[in-house]
Amino acid sequence: MSSDSNHMISFEGIHKAFGPKVVLSGVDLAVREGQICFIIGKSGAGKSVLVKHLVGLLRPDAGTIRYRDEDITGYTERQYFALRHRCTYVFQHSTLFDSMTLQENVALPLRKHRGMSLRESADAAMSYLEKVQMQDMARRRPGDVGDGLRKRVAIARALTMQPEVMIFDEPTTGLDPISAVNVDALIKALSDSEGVTSLVVSHDLRSIFGIADRVVMLYEGKVLLDGTPDDFRGSADPIVHQFVNGLPEGPMAL
Amino acid sequence: MSEPSTLGGLARELRAQIGDTIDVGRQAAWYLVRGRWDWPAIFAQAHEIGVRSVFFVIVCLGFLGAIINLQAGFQATRIIGDASLIGQQAMPLVVRLLGPTLTGMMVATRVGTGIAAEIGSMVVTEQVDALRMNRAPPAEYLVKPRLVACMVMVPALTTIGITAAFFAGMLVAAVGFGTNPGTYADFDVVVGLDLIEGMVKAAAYGVAIPIIAATAGLRARGGSEGVGEATTQAVVAASLAVIVLDFLISGAVFFLR
Repeated sequence: MSSDSNHMISFEGIHKAFGPKVVLSGVDLAVREGQICFIIGKSGAGKSVLVKHLVGLLRPDAGTIRYRDEDITGYTERQYFALRHRCTYVFQHSTLFDSMTLQENVALPLRKHRGMSLRESADAAMSYLEKVQMQDMARRRPGDVGDGLRKRVAIARALTMQPEVMIFDEPTTGLDPISAVNVDALIKALSDSEGVTSLVVSHDLRSIFGIADRVVMLYEGKVLLDGTPDDFRGSADPIVHQFVNGLPEGPMAL
Repeated sequence: MSEPSTLGGLARELRAQIGDTIDVGRQAAWYLVRGRWDWPAIFAQAHEIGVRSVFFVIVCLGFLGAIINLQAGFQATRIIGDASLIGQQAMPLVVRLLGPTLTGMMVATRVGTGIAAEIGSMVVTEQVDALRMNRAPPAEYLVKPRLVACMVMVPALTTIGITAAFFAGMLVAAVGFGTNPGTYADFDVVVGLDLIEGMVKAAAYGVAIPIIAATAGLRARGGSEGVGEATTQAVVAASLAVIVLDFLISGAVFFLR
């Protein structure tokens, strides 16, 4: 795949193995600005592994990663600091720091990335907590609130960077249906109102058919399907069909 | 991190582990010079590593001093019928070798496992990735406080341990063999180079143990099994490092004498 100036993010021939276990074997994927792109696949398909390459949390064994046409594959950790300002990551388990209050968790990147003082960052953190309707719980610690609320705080923390790209790793997994709908609405609003490009790793078909612009399915280390939610729903591929219908029997090895 | 099944796999794994350890050490050294000093974190680690190890070190080194003097006393009494010089025989050995090395081994097991388990748990729950995303490098936030604490606390624990061994040995010598405490505590037999050798070893262990243990933690993969492997790897590698450093420093001092 050649680099295309319309594409904000490009993964070209990405290979990644952990010891003898090959996870990605030549993944090509390009994402346009402002898209909500869902990356799906069965557990262990390499969805999270792929998106972690964009922000340098993992390094590919082979292949090229471009961000706005710039080859970032060989970036140093220090160069990635600047990129992580523009591309933020909402982790599957929120990964808030237990020793800090929710407000302090949100303030941390404001101090580290944007150089704010303790007081400035605390004030600014409150405004981001308001965006996710969590301002009333600012003084609580992560252990004192539920999964859905922690996820919202993690999104607020990611928003502090005013990012161009947000990576959501299974944002609705483990949430009750109402919290899941709220998180989906937040992702959609970020795309619509602020033009944020979203890479969403998910298994959640309700989210996919609700907010995705594009669906990319990984299977055995490669891209099996790349299309719209309707393409995904109507695919004749037996593996996609098995996945979308949640069938225990079929060609997809469990 | 998976168990290598062949000799080639073992060599590759060992090479990768040594490479990662050097890399973590290099980064930690860089942040020692350039990074911020998080004093609350450093004091918290100093308390965890140093203060909470004091009782363990006093008991172990105290018994060690007692055992050495007991054995030396038996032998001296049996062979020459006089145990008055056992302190002068035992103390240089404790100051140069057994004090720092046994303290190092205790820190490697008690503290090394703790560091590897804590950092390993953070890796498998993606907290280390979250730190990196928040411009908080693990070498600065996780390794540096532990390194600084160990660099200060291992020599301090060694001094405490040697003192415990000295007094326990003196008690055994006095009660068991009638050795005069004044004769036992003849510091003329411990030369400056013995003290320097002991403290250099303690300082070297204070650098090696946290870096090796933190590297093992940072290499953890998977879930709780990965953390368990990292912990085992930390204690094995840190203990081995203590023995190897002991040999190298002893050899270097031997040529200086």
